[in-house]
Amino acid sequence: MKLESLIDELTEDLTPVRPRRFWADLLMLALIAAVELALLFALGIAHLDLERLATQPTMGWRLVSLGVIALMSGFLAVRSFDPAYSAKDALRWLGVIVVLCLAYGLVMNGPPAGTASLLQRLDWRSGIQCASKIVLLSLPPLAALALLCRRGAPTDLRRTPLLSGLAAAAWGAFVFVFACPFNDPLYIVVWYGIACGLVTLAARLMMPRIARW
Amino acid sequence: MADDHWRDLMLAAQAGDAAAYRRLLVEAGSWLRTYYARRLPASMVDDAAQEVLLAVHTKRHTYDPAKPFGPWLAAIARYKWIDRLRAMKDALTEELPEDIAVRDHGEAIQSASVLERLLGRIKPAQANAIRLVKLEGLSIKETAERLDQTVALVKVNIHRGLRQLSELAREESHEA
Repeated sequence: MKLESLIDELTEDLTPVRPRRFWADLLMLALIAAVELALLFALGIAHLDLERLATQPTMGWRLVSLGVIALMSGFLAVRSFDPAYSAKDALRWLGVIVVLCLAYGLVMNGPPAGTASLLQRLDWRSGIQCASKIVLLSLPPLAALALLCRRGAPTDLRRTPLLSGLAAAAWGAFVFVFACPFNDPLYIVVWYGIACGLVTLAARLMMPRIARW
Repeated sequence: MADDHWRDLMLAAQAGDAAAYRRLLVEAGSWLRTYYARRLPASMVDDAAQEVLLAVHTKRHTYDPAKPFGPWLAAIARYKWIDRLRAMKDALTEELPEDIAVRDHGEAIQSASVLERLLGRIKPAQANAIRLVKLEGLSIKETAERLDQTVALVKVNIHRGLRQLSELAREESHEA
């Protein structure tokens, strides 16, 4: 088919469209995340313990770190659904923030006294449960991001899935903070890190299929 | 690139102004031909430009009128160019045998059965569009009417279906 006849057909097929709005997409994502959080509070699975927040430094560290990562990566993920936007530099800064948050957690309580203490602190049975719950909690925002991505036109099929996965994972972990009984920074860095890493990796591997257009 | 001018045309096109849209597509098409002429073999330039115009059409809602149109179009053109380069890299090239002129009906029948099987593995909307246009020779418009789809959707279905078919064929050849 010649270019001219394609133009004829596309012109014939033209219908009015409502331009995609970045803030509307972001608002929709925030709404889904807020509904998830509200639902967990309403069901009694999560609870806001102000005393714990004031007395346990890990609570504040977790909420601030995960909140910042979720907000930043969510913002960047939605921006990257625009074909002309490149998240290359922003992703580098986000990486620095993630590393700083993890490093701060690791130095919070100092190194473990020995191997036995390390295994005890990691408590792998509970750790796997926590990680699984974080993965589950990441699914609603990840699904929302996948839908928005499908509706958008991302042109960076490596960074967009990475940002989407990280945003969903950080949000899942943020929500889980309100239901998690553990406070050991090492435990949190390891198990939250594993859960977030898995969600981000899964998004990186699977989302390009959805995002391709 | 005449950014303000293109932005105005796209803004009008998003509101449904066909004349502005045609003008935009003609000008963008000409820009795309120049863009691809420097990056692809001559035989591929028109196809690549068409693919981008189709992408512009299906993703026109993603254009933010507050931003210039040029970088948006250039980003899509670059994305499709990289996609094409990847496909070219993946495509296997085989030397044609000496006796290529000998007609072999057995192979044709086998190919038809393989094609039918592969068509069964892609989405029915894509398979039907490919069958009608590529195998039965119907025009895009006739196919759109018969399948009760828009012309653009038929093109998208054919495009995606063919890509899917080539991936499936590649997978099968690797497995064999």
